[in-house]
Amino acid sequence: MNVLEVKNLTKRFNGIIAVDKASFSVTEGSVFGLIGRNGAGKTTTIRMMLNIYFPDEGEVLFKGSKIEQDFKDSVGYLPEERGLYKKMKVIDMLLFLAELKGKKGNEVNKSALQYLERFDLADRKNSKVEDLSKGNQQKIQFISTVLHDPDFLIFDEPFSGLDPINTNLLKEIILEMKSKGKVVIFSTHLMEFAEKMCDSIAMIDKGKIILNGKLSEMKEKYASKNVSLNYQGNISFLNSHPMIESIEDYGNTTGIKLKNENSDQELLKLLMANNISIKKFNVDEISLHEIFVLLAGKEAANV
Amino acid sequence: MFNKRTLAIIKRELKMKLFSKSFILMTLLVPLFMIGIFSVQYFVQSLSGEQRSDLIVISDSDEILNKVQNEIFQTGPFKSGDLTTRFEKIELANFKSKLNEFKPDILEQRITGVIFIPSTLLQSKGVEYYSSNPNNSSLFYKIKPSINKALVEIYFAGKLLTEEEIKFARKDVEINGFRVSSDEKVAEEGYGNRIAMVLFSFLLYMALIFSGSMTMNAVVEEKSNKIVEVLLSSASSTELMAGKILGTVIVEVIQMAIWLSPIVLLISTSWFLIPAEFMPQMSFGFILYFLFNYAIALITYVALYATVGAIFDNPQDAQSGVWPLLMLIMIPFFIALGMEANAQSSLAQIASLFPFSSLIVMPARMILVEVPLWQILLSCAINIVVLLGIFKLAGKIYRIGILLTGKKPKWSEVFGWLKMSS
Repeated sequence: MNVLEVKNLTKRFNGIIAVDKASFSVTEGSVFGLIGRNGAGKTTTIRMMLNIYFPDEGEVLFKGSKIEQDFKDSVGYLPEERGLYKKMKVIDMLLFLAELKGKKGNEVNKSALQYLERFDLADRKNSKVEDLSKGNQQKIQFISTVLHDPDFLIFDEPFSGLDPINTNLLKEIILEMKSKGKVVIFSTHLMEFAEKMCDSIAMIDKGKIILNGKLSEMKEKYASKNVSLNYQGNISFLNSHPMIESIEDYGNTTGIKLKNENSDQELLKLLMANNISIKKFNVDEISLHEIFVLLAGKEAANV
Repeated sequence: MFNKRTLAIIKRELKMKLFSKSFILMTLLVPLFMIGIFSVQYFVQSLSGEQRSDLIVISDSDEILNKVQNEIFQTGPFKSGDLTTRFEKIELANFKSKLNEFKPDILEQRITGVIFIPSTLLQSKGVEYYSSNPNNSSLFYKIKPSINKALVEIYFAGKLLTEEEIKFARKDVEINGFRVSSDEKVAEEGYGNRIAMVLFSFLLYMALIFSGSMTMNAVVEEKSNKIVEVLLSSASSTELMAGKILGTVIVEVIQMAIWLSPIVLLISTSWFLIPAEFMPQMSFGFILYFLFNYAIALITYVALYATVGAIFDNPQDAQSGVWPLLMLIMIPFFIALGMEANAQSSLAQIASLFPFSSLIVMPARMILVEVPLWQILLSCAINIVVLLGIFKLAGKIYRIGILLTGKKPKWSEVFGWLKMSS
């Protein structure tokens, strides 16, 4: 069931369109990825979903009705540019942000201490935020995002600026929330992360949604006629071959798009015949990155 | 706008501010600072009178010289050595050349000045004073009575008048101020209320600028350390702004009440022994009005300062955006101080009802004269309407400005935000 529906959202800044009629929906209990390059309109879309920006056109529906404060209360939001009150004590900071979400009292207090315990920060609860290391401040920020037990988690470029330990910690949090049946929405320009974690995605480019749906269905749709290849040798002879539609070099792998669905075996034979040493030959597999390049055009290749 | 989120923000502001070192320091230091300023002024004033003066008195008449000399020799400054005088008799025609002789001495301050009393000008009491600093009022204060007395005596000498009549002619007019108010009693007015007016206006002026810039810096900080986006995911920008402003207002009103408590004790008890002429005549009701007016002024100005903070993303740029606000506080402050001369001038009347200036001028005016009730109520009504308008405008700019970072926006862009829907 769709819990969140984004319909024709449009936002202009000084006459420039940042988001252009964006529509997609998020189903219950799923991990949803909003994917696109920097400046594609991801943050603006997310801010409109949270009512931080009012859209110029369109609307966001939560369980069928327009988003109101009750939606905001049920969201935990981790913006790309994170920040805390530097002069506040850690525990006060956490409780204040939970109180803004309408949660206060013993329960949330206890839960805050539990989280601090879990992230090895229990002894720092009375320290000022500014006295914590950057990594520990990020942990406090994660705790503040989930402390009020939200039903929705919205992360904007969650992995930017994180060290490897916190990256893993955040992945853990996302998976834990998913296993609890919460909806996780995150925006990223890192295709591998999205590919590994998302159930559904929406691709946004220049403010327009260029693709959206279930990741599995999407791959199925775009994978046919597609061969993913790892090799050694020179395959430039393929460039002008009649059965090839296009070749994309992604560095580690090369994506070959065929004109006909059933010519993959023929391609394999051709490669063998030309003494290409094949390390991997994968039919019907396409990476999210490849799909993105396919749709957003060649200039998108260096995302 | 007022709900549990606003309340949470207000609570945070109170917690962070009321128990902060800077609040406690400010509460203690400002009264000391005020006392310091008043004593420095008193000190400077008394110093300026103590300077040594060397005068040369010139006349074409022996009689004038002798009489003036007699009188000046009896004055305190002469006896204490602060004033030395030399007397010279000169024909009127030679005065100019004599003055030229003294010119180098005057310019190098070896003599303070030359007093020229020609006998021809006896009737008009026209005395000329030549000096590098011809407007030295503290010097005039010392010698004028002596010269006046001497001239009066010479003038009346030939006429058959009694000593008493001459005394009367010599005496200057004295005007004693009595305050007429709707109270039964007509009270003689001392300096008390004028001092109180300067004190209250100064407190208001300083507190507004100080709390305004504090709030502005806090908003810029929230913006630059990015917490604001986290806050906005929970609360609306209006709730955020309202919470912040009301939190500041509560803290500042408490502080002002602490500052005013000695004055409340002064007017309601006899614990303090101060000379009657320095005793301000002020009711407890006025103190309450002052606090109420202060709260309105705070909301108005703090909202404006917060808005300026929201427009810019670093303190330097914000400082440059603050000068229109400073004008809005400074001009009324100077009008208020100027009312010491006349609190019923039309400028004072208009300024005490005009938006923004009313917040500072009206309380000052009320200390000096009795303002009709309708004017007080009208000014309150005007101020509240302005406050609501400001709050609305500020909210709009705040909402858009608060998430913008990067390039410093132009004023024309900021006005453009007012037209935008969000």
